[in-house]
Amino acid sequence: MNSTEAAQTILKALRGAGIELVATLPDINLSELLRAVEESGELIHVPVCREEEGIGICAGAYLVGKKCAAIMQNGGFFNSNNAIVSTLLQYQIPLLLLIYYAGDVGDRTFSTTGSLTEPVLQALGIRYYVMRETEDAPELIRRAQIMTEDSRRPVALLLTKEFLGRRAALKAL
Amino acid sequence: MVVSSAGAVTLEWNALRSSDGNFRVRTLGLCSSIALGMALGLPEGKIIALDGDGSLLMNLSTLPTIARMKPKNLLHIVFDNEVYEASGSKKTATGAGTDLVGLARAAGIENAHWVNSVDAFAQTAKRALSGDGPSFIGVKVGTERASVAPYPIDEVENKYRFIRYVEKSASIEILRTNLPASYD
Repeated sequence: MNSTEAAQTILKALRGAGIELVATLPDINLSELLRAVEESGELIHVPVCREEEGIGICAGAYLVGKKCAAIMQNGGFFNSNNAIVSTLLQYQIPLLLLIYYAGDVGDRTFSTTGSLTEPVLQALGIRYYVMRETEDAPELIRRAQIMTEDSRRPVALLLTKEFLGRRAALKAL
Repeated sequence: MVVSSAGAVTLEWNALRSSDGNFRVRTLGLCSSIALGMALGLPEGKIIALDGDGSLLMNLSTLPTIARMKPKNLLHIVFDNEVYEASGSKKTATGAGTDLVGLARAAGIENAHWVNSVDAFAQTAKRALSGDGPSFIGVKVGTERASVAPYPIDEVENKYRFIRYVEKSASIEILRTNLPASYD
């Protein structure tokens, strides 16, 4: 599956899980997904300048009844940790975190970020799943949304390169 | 609905106007972001953010995001006392000359003003609430602390009370039973 098809599958899965608002900050591997979000107009799309803002925006929207997801790279997850701890965890606010897994096995960039991503999620007590098959998106995103609502804690889905699909621009490399 | 920043502003506001429609923020900087999320999620409601200079300085990227999203129903008020008062009164950057209203305007929030009297504040806030936002009001304040009671409820109770307040005032259902999902 290429990244454009994967983006449509993931967007449809988010809609299927009832997501109404997304706060996002780009990574090149998220670009097709964010383009699909923007072009569809089906979700309230809040492009943020720093990921921690997005945690606050999603928390605020949750408090007035919106189901939300924050879409970011794992570096942005690290940027968000104070808000995750003292807003989401402290107030027991659910949130779906869709985190691009930079430094995943086989990735030549951000290996330090990659190596610390799962340990930090574990330390925070945030349940997470590593997403590799795009076909899993509808079922696992739906289940992750149920889990975050039911546990009143954030749940993270780590989006790998293969999950997000092949990028057309890089095929020639 | 009123979202108030970590710091003295929360305690003083709640001593003045206790309400289930008040949401207290514990993450320094996040007040205006939480308020923005509420404004976008509930366009028919009016949202007021009561922020401080130390808080806004920690999350300056909120200003371009508010300017970009243009929520009509958001009023962002910053009480600027030029110190981290709740943390021992060390000087903030505004005490060294940074102009928060100037930053808001430069970010693209056109309706951003300093007010320098209680009357001017009341007039500007009234105008902001009756017209289209986003609006930003900067107020220079002193460092005298009012002697007020501690916040009476914890964070989780604050969350539930606030959500119930929104459900009632907006006639919507937010908290639903999870029972059907567990039988899927």
